[in-house]
Amino acid sequence: MKFKLILIFIFCYSYVCFSQNDLLSLIDNNTTEYSNYIFKGTKVVNSESVEMPDNGVLQFMIQHRFGTLNSGFYNFYGLDNSQVRMSLAYGINDRLSIGIGRSSSLKAIDSNLKYQLFRQSKGNKTFPLTICLNSSIVFKQYFKSTSENSIFLLSDQFSYSHQLLIARKINRKFSIQLSPTLVHYNLLSIDQFNNDLYSIGYGLRYKLSNRISVNLESFSQFNSQNKINPISIGFDVETGGHVFQFHLSNSAFMINRAFIHETYDLWSEGSIYFGFNISRVFTVKE
Amino acid sequence: MIRKILPLLFFISIDCYSQQYIANDGEITFFSYAPIEDIKAVNKKVSAAFDISNNDIVFQLYISDFNFRKKLMQTHFNENYLESDIFPKANFVGKVFALEDDSAIVRGLLTIHGVSKEIEANGMFIKNNNSIKISSEFNVKLEDYNVSIPTIVMYKIAEEILVNVVIKLNSKR
Repeated sequence: MKFKLILIFIFCYSYVCFSQNDLLSLIDNNTTEYSNYIFKGTKVVNSESVEMPDNGVLQFMIQHRFGTLNSGFYNFYGLDNSQVRMSLAYGINDRLSIGIGRSSSLKAIDSNLKYQLFRQSKGNKTFPLTICLNSSIVFKQYFKSTSENSIFLLSDQFSYSHQLLIARKINRKFSIQLSPTLVHYNLLSIDQFNNDLYSIGYGLRYKLSNRISVNLESFSQFNSQNKINPISIGFDVETGGHVFQFHLSNSAFMINRAFIHETYDLWSEGSIYFGFNISRVFTVKE
Repeated sequence: MIRKILPLLFFISIDCYSQQYIANDGEITFFSYAPIEDIKAVNKKVSAAFDISNNDIVFQLYISDFNFRKKLMQTHFNENYLESDIFPKANFVGKVFALEDDSAIVRGLLTIHGVSKEIEANGMFIKNNNSIKISSEFNVKLEDYNVSIPTIVMYKIAEEILVNVVIKLNSKR
């Protein structure tokens, strides 16, 4: 009898003891936790990452590529030569962004749309990957002398690329991305046989600290006559409002069709380009 | 004897139950007054529970639910300072003392960024028929919660953050 009474008291006591936790569990409603910040910038190195400017944010990016490191002291190891791509990207909403850019030496204007199809999440709604669709159109102007030649049409100067960007943040330091890509040329250069070129891109990111990460990027071409694939390594450094990306690559180009399929330099020969991207964001719509 | 106590216990527990007030749409705002730029963020998904029978009170929120005017600040807040991927939640577990004339002192353990620290704050408890409106304001020191702000950042952040709580709890029934 007494024993039972004590038991009840213990039960009572424990009930009081744990009541704060019970109270906490009462309001502990599970939500969906999304994996954010899979990459630091909107680019891995040259190619697009699954990241895009936030809703209402305008991003200005300057990309610089110098000459090859093996071009000797006369060219100051490539620093004498440079080409630039300036671009703007704007987040229309949380899932859609639009961009426009201009590459100096290619005389090309490009525009892209990036749309987020799925978002990596856990909790109530679990999905293992973040998947984006990126479509771009490139208007590569011919040299003046060529465009005055009437056999070339305006449409010949257009090319397109469509990619699926499939990324996963494996842990807080390590992210991977696969980018199956289709590039369509309206007019082929003399060494190509296919208008549609397929490739797959690989991207890796490893965070060395909260502000610095190292990125690797490469593409494998499937049906191109050019067998040289671009390989790039880069470092992302974040300083408050800016993201700096420094990198080495065997490609000097900054638009999809050019760096994937028009890279003719080799790492093994030291034809490596030093380059950087600087991006700055402006909050347009709050 | 035991047959007398058992129903009594049952009643007590029932009674306890009916004295709980909960909410999941409370607002917590924090401010950092700094020379270059004032920083403000709002979380409108704060949940809370208050048990009037034993004066237990708890609050809980998700760090990623704080909205900033500038999305870049929100990114830095989540990724670099509060590390919301490791510590997604912040909560407060405490007790209400000296509740009279709508005002009270709340004392308890505030857990942010994985660090728990005892705090005390004054609050207003305004009771209506089936609801209690709680409001409070207190300061939180960043270094108490291992939130380190590097000296070279674009916007300076005050070392003490002012936290404002407004939440309306409804009776559980």
